[in-house]
Amino acid sequence: MDLLTAPFEVDRRRRATPVVGALCVVGALMLGGVAGGQWLERQGGLGRELGLAVEGAAVHGGFIAQGLIITLAGRSAGAAIAVRMAGALLAAFLLGHLAPWGSLAFLLIPPLLVHECRGHPTLRRIGFLAPARPASLLVGFAVGTFLGGHLLITSSLTFGYAISVVTVAGYLSAVAYDVGANALSAEFLFRGALFSHWWRHWGFWGAAAVSTALTLVRYLLDPALPEAPEARAGAIVYLAALALGAAMLRAWSGSLVPGYLASVAFFAAYRALVVW
Amino acid sequence: MVTAALGVLLAITAAMAWQGVVPISPLRHLYLVPVAWAALRGGARAGGLLGLMAAFFQMPLVLPAIERAGLTGAAVEGLVSLALPPAVGVLAGLLRDESRARARRLEALIEIERCLAREAPLPLRLDAAAAVVCRGLNATQVGLLVGTSAEMPALGSAPPGATLTPGSAVAWSLSTGRSVRSPDLATDGRFTLAGSPAPAPRRGLILPMDAGAGPVGALALEWRGEVAAGTDAAAAEIALHLALGIENARLTLRQRRFAEELEDKVAAATRRLREIDQAKSEFLSVVSHELRTPLTALEGFAELLLTRAVPPERAARFLRHIHVEARRLGRIVAELLDLSRLEVGVAPDLKREPLELAAHVERQLELFAGVHPAHRFSWKAEGALPALRADRDALDRVLQNLLSNAVKYSPRGGEVRVAARAAADGLVELRVEDEGVGIPTTELPRIFDKYVRIANQETTSVRGLGLGLSLVRALVEAHGGRIDVESAPGKGSVFRVILPA
Repeated sequence: MDLLTAPFEVDRRRRATPVVGALCVVGALMLGGVAGGQWLERQGGLGRELGLAVEGAAVHGGFIAQGLIITLAGRSAGAAIAVRMAGALLAAFLLGHLAPWGSLAFLLIPPLLVHECRGHPTLRRIGFLAPARPASLLVGFAVGTFLGGHLLITSSLTFGYAISVVTVAGYLSAVAYDVGANALSAEFLFRGALFSHWWRHWGFWGAAAVSTALTLVRYLLDPALPEAPEARAGAIVYLAALALGAAMLRAWSGSLVPGYLASVAFFAAYRALVVW
Repeated sequence: MVTAALGVLLAITAAMAWQGVVPISPLRHLYLVPVAWAALRGGARAGGLLGLMAAFFQMPLVLPAIERAGLTGAAVEGLVSLALPPAVGVLAGLLRDESRARARRLEALIEIERCLAREAPLPLRLDAAAAVVCRGLNATQVGLLVGTSAEMPALGSAPPGATLTPGSAVAWSLSTGRSVRSPDLATDGRFTLAGSPAPAPRRGLILPMDAGAGPVGALALEWRGEVAAGTDAAAAEIALHLALGIENARLTLRQRRFAEELEDKVAAATRRLREIDQAKSEFLSVVSHELRTPLTALEGFAELLLTRAVPPERAARFLRHIHVEARRLGRIVAELLDLSRLEVGVAPDLKREPLELAAHVERQLELFAGVHPAHRFSWKAEGALPALRADRDALDRVLQNLLSNAVKYSPRGGEVRVAARAAADGLVELRVEDEGVGIPTTELPRIFDKYVRIANQETTSVRGLGLGLSLVRALVEAHGGRIDVESAPGKGSVFRVILPA
């Protein structure tokens, strides 16, 4: 029991770490990457593909980098991991844009992240570890499947959207993107670094509310989200439920994996929805 | 529970879909039944989850109808019916959680009081109370420390392997009487923790236990993960009750100890009374014997003188015997009179006059040496002795009693040493030392009591009433002095009399 045994100094405060500065630098790099990607996009041809890849790598690599900075408190090892992950994401995006099955390269990103982070026990603090209860994996998958299935049924019944896999390659590429970039970076940053940090200071509901709100902002700013008002309203409902569910899973299981599985399952269903 | 409730929700949804009159199907109200049931059984989490599921189950039926008909009254009603189950689930669940928490807190308080009032050593009672606190507050670990000094090991209950370390947060709280709150021990800069960080926050709370008369200890609590709202207030309430319980336990303990001491004292007094009673009985028997002996002698010699023609020299001897026995009888009567005075608390009547102690001692020694030729007597005045202001007879009786005892309890040929010296503060110290059988240490406190005669095989033949030393003390104290004794079996005795000059 640490209250009885651990040394305690009432006047000592944790040393401020240069986290905010590092986050600003990463934010600037993300914006720079997006701007550079858009410029490349406008060049057309191969530049367009390269630009999209740079944009994607900047955003998702930036999310992972921010998560690492918050968790590792600005340690240089985090920067090295972030650079390597951004490089791997850039390669996956490029492959995805250049080859029909190239997006499957995204499937290598999660094991790569695990490999890169294996020497950092501090990451256990954000739930970057296997869940103590294996059943939580099933629960996570069930939550994502329920929300995804519900989305398909409701939107097809309400708006008449079709449920269809146009091409298997396209569908699997989208799912691979969710596995290796979309769900991974969102869970790592919003549930991992941010929710875990705020949970320690504000309690569950405060942390869940703010991390869910930031998740919604991230997806509402995503140019890939359909612009139809009903689609945006639906996105708010489902993504809020998904983010809240992932926060609950993170708190219950102590791990990011169940929430990540829920996101992957949800987006796997979403990718089968044809919104026009 | 959740599976059954989900089944009911699905059945209602299926019935509504089959009925086809959504969004204002009267069946929608049925959603509230499993939701309320789940809320009452499982609290806000279960109620909210079931309510959310009810809303999600209705969506595919309500939303298409709204999309087709627009935002009509029925559509608004349908939207309300979407929002109602989660709201009811959460609110009913919160109420249930709150009432359950209150009930649990009340149960915990009663159980804590019961634990602390148990017939068991205090550490065991604290262990039991700590277990109740742990359950009542859903804590991971509980430490219950009694005492207020951080340097001293405090009595209490702690998880296995955990002991109070100086410099820890609990030690700080014990010494300052202040509380400590930490939302997460792992990231709290005030703590220096070893080991890898945990994925969930570890909340810490230390509350001084104070019932109003100052802290009696500290209650330390650790939680892993989420802590229910109102837990801090509940912990404060429990800490207060613990303080009251510990104070009560201490008072009970003190009262019990006091009662035990009182019982011991009453038993000792009863034992003493029995001894005195027995001593009085023995005293009566001794007095009868002591009076009868000289009376018999007086009677016998007087009868001889009256009834027979005794030659003058024999008659003179008989008369000397009669005289000795009459004096002995007189001494016994005088002692009995003094005793009766002492019994009623009247101090001996003293006629103080200036006296030379040395002259008195020398005269008494001369008399004793004449009567007891088998014993050796010595006298030593250590330096110049100041004159005493004392009662002549009383001083003689003090000396006679002490010398008589020294002779009676010494073997033949034993030496009786008397010494005197001027002590500090204008006092005079008189010592009477013998080489007798001595007095056991356990009997020394009783030696000056009335009727006390120390049982000893070597002195069974020694006659006496057990009043001599008691009278000596009364006479010495009446002069404003004091008397004490040093003795050991086989080593003789030293009686020391201190008298004011």
